[in-house]
Amino acid sequence: MKYIFILKAVLHSISHRKFSVFTSIFAISAAFAFLAAIGCVSFGLAATAVNSSLAFPLVVGPAGASDTTLVMSTLFNTDKPAGTLDYEFAGKLASDERVSAVFPVARSDSYMGVPITGVESAYINEISKGFWDIDPMIDAKDIFGGKNSDCAVIGAKTAMRYDMSVWDTFFGSHGTVGDEDAHVHDFKYKVCAILKPLNGPEDFAIFTSLKSVWEIHKHGHHHHHHEDAEDEEHDHEHHEAEHEEHDHGHHEAEHEEHEHHHEHGEESADGKITAVLVKTKNPVFTAALEREYSENGFTSATDTAKTVRKLLTYMNKAEKAAGFFSYGTLFLVLIMVFVTIMTSINERKREMALMRTLGIGKLPISLMIFLELFFISVSGIAVGTLGGHTLLAFCKPALDFELGINMEPFFFTEIELHGIIWTMIAAFVLSLAAMIKIYRMNLVEEIAKE
Amino acid sequence: MAGFEKISIKDLTKSFSDTNGKRNLIFEKVSFELNQGAVLRLSGASGSGKTTFMNVMSGLIKPDSGSVLFGNIDITNLSEGKKDRFRAENIGYIFQTFNLLSPFSVLENVYAPLAFAGKLPENYKDKALDSLDKVGMKEFSAKMPYHLSVGQKQRVAVARVLFADPPLVFADEPTASLDRNSSELVKNTLLELNKKGTTLVLTSHDSIFDDIRPDVDFNLETGVLS
Repeated sequence: MKYIFILKAVLHSISHRKFSVFTSIFAISAAFAFLAAIGCVSFGLAATAVNSSLAFPLVVGPAGASDTTLVMSTLFNTDKPAGTLDYEFAGKLASDERVSAVFPVARSDSYMGVPITGVESAYINEISKGFWDIDPMIDAKDIFGGKNSDCAVIGAKTAMRYDMSVWDTFFGSHGTVGDEDAHVHDFKYKVCAILKPLNGPEDFAIFTSLKSVWEIHKHGHHHHHHEDAEDEEHDHEHHEAEHEEHDHGHHEAEHEEHEHHHEHGEESADGKITAVLVKTKNPVFTAALEREYSENGFTSATDTAKTVRKLLTYMNKAEKAAGFFSYGTLFLVLIMVFVTIMTSINERKREMALMRTLGIGKLPISLMIFLELFFISVSGIAVGTLGGHTLLAFCKPALDFELGINMEPFFFTEIELHGIIWTMIAAFVLSLAAMIKIYRMNLVEEIAKE
Repeated sequence: MAGFEKISIKDLTKSFSDTNGKRNLIFEKVSFELNQGAVLRLSGASGSGKTTFMNVMSGLIKPDSGSVLFGNIDITNLSEGKKDRFRAENIGYIFQTFNLLSPFSVLENVYAPLAFAGKLPENYKDKALDSLDKVGMKEFSAKMPYHLSVGQKQRVAVARVLFADPPLVFADEPTASLDRNSSELVKNTLLELNKKGTTLVLTSHDSIFDDIRPDVDFNLETGVLS
């Protein structure tokens, strides 16, 4: 009966201070939701990175390219390539007995900001888990073979985002959306296939043949025209018509202005590629090949697993830093809750003094304060953790679609579990401190003095 | 009501230090005895220390020196836990205002002190309802204190005393905020309890209590005991 009365008193006090209790729980919850987001998002990013690094153990690119540039510009499609290599180099590499397969890649233009990468059919066969849709006239095993050099294979999320389907056509743009100097090349791509989702950066890519990349840069100099970034947002199905409307006489004048774009070597000119993705026969060969192709003065090479590990270490540091900020915020929030409760005690002094007068002991009264503070803290942790993960589950499709972060929304990371444990400890200590303070107060004497 | 034959106040002294550290003497070396069923009247102007004397007597505030003996139990020497239990079982309170605990319903307010002390009698709910019935508050048993007027709260405080049936009742200005009818009810209940052997400690400026002859009258303003 005594404990029912204590719980009643705690619930009554909480229900009579709805606003401050709500803001306290909300503040703790927000910090925990943030912790949950940090954990799940960074774990999702790490899982994607690790999956991508497993496919191609070695990346070889032009001399001077850093490890991260090589990996980011090829496997993750985020960085610009550092230069070019001759296509023949890929053949030479393939003939090395330690190599099981090579996949030359040539970064080309972009469409709506999505990078277009020139590859061979073998690369598509390597990464594909099947097609959502494919032109029935095309050989799925040799997608760029024969006269299919204008074929484009679209990543699942790019296709969804821009509503692209087989037989659609589009023009590549030099530069990315928002660039003042963005212009559209004359080369018309035709969508031949749409890849099934791979839960990796490939979902956000567009692949075309190496031949088409070389073709663009052979003829494209004389056949491109300005496109505002806004124009690029137009439906791709309209591009062909828009393109026809532009005055060709205009193009030659513009050509002078933009020739520099094709000279800076970040794209693949005729017979040039930007990197070679290599599959080796075993990890010892990967290390040996990395060393050889990094030290020859003509190329750079990187072990993708090592580089991804380095990137993950940095990411882990960032995650930890964000985690520590969250811990700090949590601690401040708990102090705020503690101060709020202690202030409210002044308002409740008379009632507590009456309780003491009526023979209700110091322990039950101080236990009420302990439970109140602990209830608010634990509610904040529970609401924040469950709410944060539920929110992440709701946001998962958007995060996946927009940023390619393939996360597990109900995964509990170490940083979050530590947050829960430390907050529980801090809440317990603060609740105990409040309880001891009340226990040691002589409420009746204090009121008598007043 | 079990009770104790005699309450002995021996050399009781209490002072408070003000904010400047100056010691203000409230009462000094007060000694008297009360038999079971006696009436002690505490008089004096507001702020003279009547409530403080009650609090020292009930063990809520420690005296600077002296002792308060209930039979052979010195409340000033009891541990906090034992004092709490002693108060819950042996002392009833009726104050001018602020009588009820806001988290609990009217009915719960009647039996809360004994519930906390773990001394609830059998059929405590029926007994609590009977007590409320005696003061005309039975129909309000499920209400929360904030729904009641000052007079109604006072009646509930009286019902709480009736329910616990303690050997000692402190009534601190019990009718100061009440209308005539409520004042009569409180006075009659106190007299009835006193007739049954309850010792009464009363402070009041209300003339309604003028016809009560106290066994001991202690004026805290003058320090005179009579």
